[in-house]
Amino acid sequence: MDKTTVQELIQPTIKARNVDVYYGETHALMGIDLDIAPKTVTALIGPSGCGKSTFLRCINRMNDTIPSCRMTGKITLDGEDIYSKNIDVVQLRAKVGMVFQKANPFPKSIYDNVAYGPRIHGLAADDKDLDEIVFSSLQRSGLWNEVKDRLDKSGTALSGGQQQRLCIARTIAVNPEVILMDEPCSALDPIATAIIEELIADLKERFTIVIVTHSMQQAARLSQKTAFFHLGKILEFGDTSEIFTNPRVEKTKDYITGRYG
Amino acid sequence: MGRKKAVLSVNGKIRDLHSLPGHYGWFTALTSFLPGLFIVLVWIIFGSNLVDNFTLAALGDEIRSLSNFDRALYMNDIHNLAIGDAISRPLTNSLNNATNFYLRTQNNLLWIFTLSAIGVSSLLAIFSFRKISPELRSRNLVERLIIIMLVISSSIAILITIGIVSSLIVETLRFLEHVSLSEFLLGLKWSPQTALRADQVGSSGSFGAIPLFTGTLLITFIALLVAVPVGLFSAIYMTEFASPNARIFFKPLLELLAGIPTVVYGFFAALVVAPVIRNSGEVIGLEIASESALAAGLVMGIMIIPLISSLSDDVISSVPQSLRDASYGLGATKTETIVNVILPSALPGIVSAFLLAASRAIGETMIVVMAAGMAANLTANPLEAVTTVTVQILALLTGDQEFDSAKTLSAFALGLALFTITLFLNFIALKLVRKYQEQYD
Repeated sequence: MDKTTVQELIQPTIKARNVDVYYGETHALMGIDLDIAPKTVTALIGPSGCGKSTFLRCINRMNDTIPSCRMTGKITLDGEDIYSKNIDVVQLRAKVGMVFQKANPFPKSIYDNVAYGPRIHGLAADDKDLDEIVFSSLQRSGLWNEVKDRLDKSGTALSGGQQQRLCIARTIAVNPEVILMDEPCSALDPIATAIIEELIADLKERFTIVIVTHSMQQAARLSQKTAFFHLGKILEFGDTSEIFTNPRVEKTKDYITGRYG
Repeated sequence: MGRKKAVLSVNGKIRDLHSLPGHYGWFTALTSFLPGLFIVLVWIIFGSNLVDNFTLAALGDEIRSLSNFDRALYMNDIHNLAIGDAISRPLTNSLNNATNFYLRTQNNLLWIFTLSAIGVSSLLAIFSFRKISPELRSRNLVERLIIIMLVISSSIAILITIGIVSSLIVETLRFLEHVSLSEFLLGLKWSPQTALRADQVGSSGSFGAIPLFTGTLLITFIALLVAVPVGLFSAIYMTEFASPNARIFFKPLLELLAGIPTVVYGFFAALVVAPVIRNSGEVIGLEIASESALAAGLVMGIMIIPLISSLSDDVISSVPQSLRDASYGLGATKTETIVNVILPSALPGIVSAFLLAASRAIGETMIVVMAAGMAANLTANPLEAVTTVTVQILALLTGDQEFDSAKTLSAFALGLALFTITLFLNFIALKLVRKYQEQYD
């Protein structure tokens, strides 16, 4: 058996079926079907406004905070419908963390930034436990050595790349199953981007990662699966290597080779 | 005119002009009109003094040798006679002559000023008109003139402030000649009745401002106790929970409170709130004065609710959405997000809203006059009548007063003290707001 079929045998972590999303009158997503396998990086690519971020925000129900947003269809996480009535959004978001396009550390100390999630979810039994969670999260996000002497300094005083890694540390401190990343490197310079890409490659050992990106190289380097979104639909979904070397759809080919539009 | 000439000078080819035709027009208008306006202003401000001085100079030595006071009286009669009003002394020839001279001088000076205003204006108009040529950078000149006008306007505001403060300081110093600073700031008794005649009894006057300031603080404290929770909670509701429709409906309603004249609040406090408090006090067996700090404080609290809620509303909504997203994304509930992220981020702004509201409450007069009374009691009991600094200033200056008694002058000292306190509060509030803004820039 080759690698692809092994992965297909594994039960997907996230299953989206026939997902439609509307913002008021705008029909943002149409009939999205997508399976996301555990402990892989899935890249969502496509031109701006095609619905990638909207779909990402459906997975942890962040769209709930937008009053005009309406969604139909079904998304399951480990077989459970995340839009069913007996799902607690708070629990869901603890399981499905999110890293945003613009680094958004709280105007609190570095330590408190990382400790925020564990505190509100009561993950730490005592202060020592919390210290341990903060330490290991910062360690895993590769930030520990840079900030270990100034944990009490404000998180907003860090550089852009460090802030983004702090946000990743904050997300993994809750120990989620899935991490959603919405263009996490779009505001960073190439060096900071390289550091974060390395970090994402490490993180996939433990987490299922869905990343929206505008960088074809990033998608090719990082992901195992790629979905190409266009005007609210998924035109093509498959192994990243397949999509980038041998796209089946003409539009995909145009987009990834930069001849789009 | 300037515009026309400018256009003509290039035979209608506007492109060849340095500036737009309109700028040449403005240039001519401003350079000729403004100096003329300046001369007119000089006449309005200094004209009457000038006329008086000329008249005095022409009068005989006997008048000039009079005391300041009598001379002023004499001049007053001249003024009154000139406009045909009653005068305080028998009409003499010399007075008549002086008045005629006064009228003549006034007339002549008026002509001189009018002519010079017109003259200067037209001279400048001709001058600037002649200067118009395609090369003249009238756009830049007009720009400069406008800046000068703006600078003058803002200086006027600053100068007036300085003037008010310095008059407060000067009068306060005069007051301190009568009463020592320590007695004023530390004295426990306020009873500003001074003797009008030396043989009057029992009105030596004591000017201890402590009871006034404790009264002010007590009422302000009660007001904040009402307004801070209500204002803050309503701001949180408006920004975080209310649907857009509810917001559109409730916000103007809340801000309507800010539009109610304070005198209306005042009689609401005196005629509605105070009796209610007194009656409910009677029910549980408490003796409550019909004018109480509680009534004034409660109503004042209602008055400053919109101030706190709309300022807090602004700072809470300016907390970036990304911080909310981050918190929700970590699985925080709405309340957790508000308590742990939004309020701490907005705290400096919220505190400064409280301080601004406090300084508004401290300066409030009408409600206190009507609801809290005039008795300068030194008490911390909100059920008793107290008085505030503002109310006493009002009481000191209304009615017939001699202007240089300690009683009247003490109003200036109170005013200065009040001004210092509110200035200090506003200063801290502004500092906090600035610190808050830096955080997100």
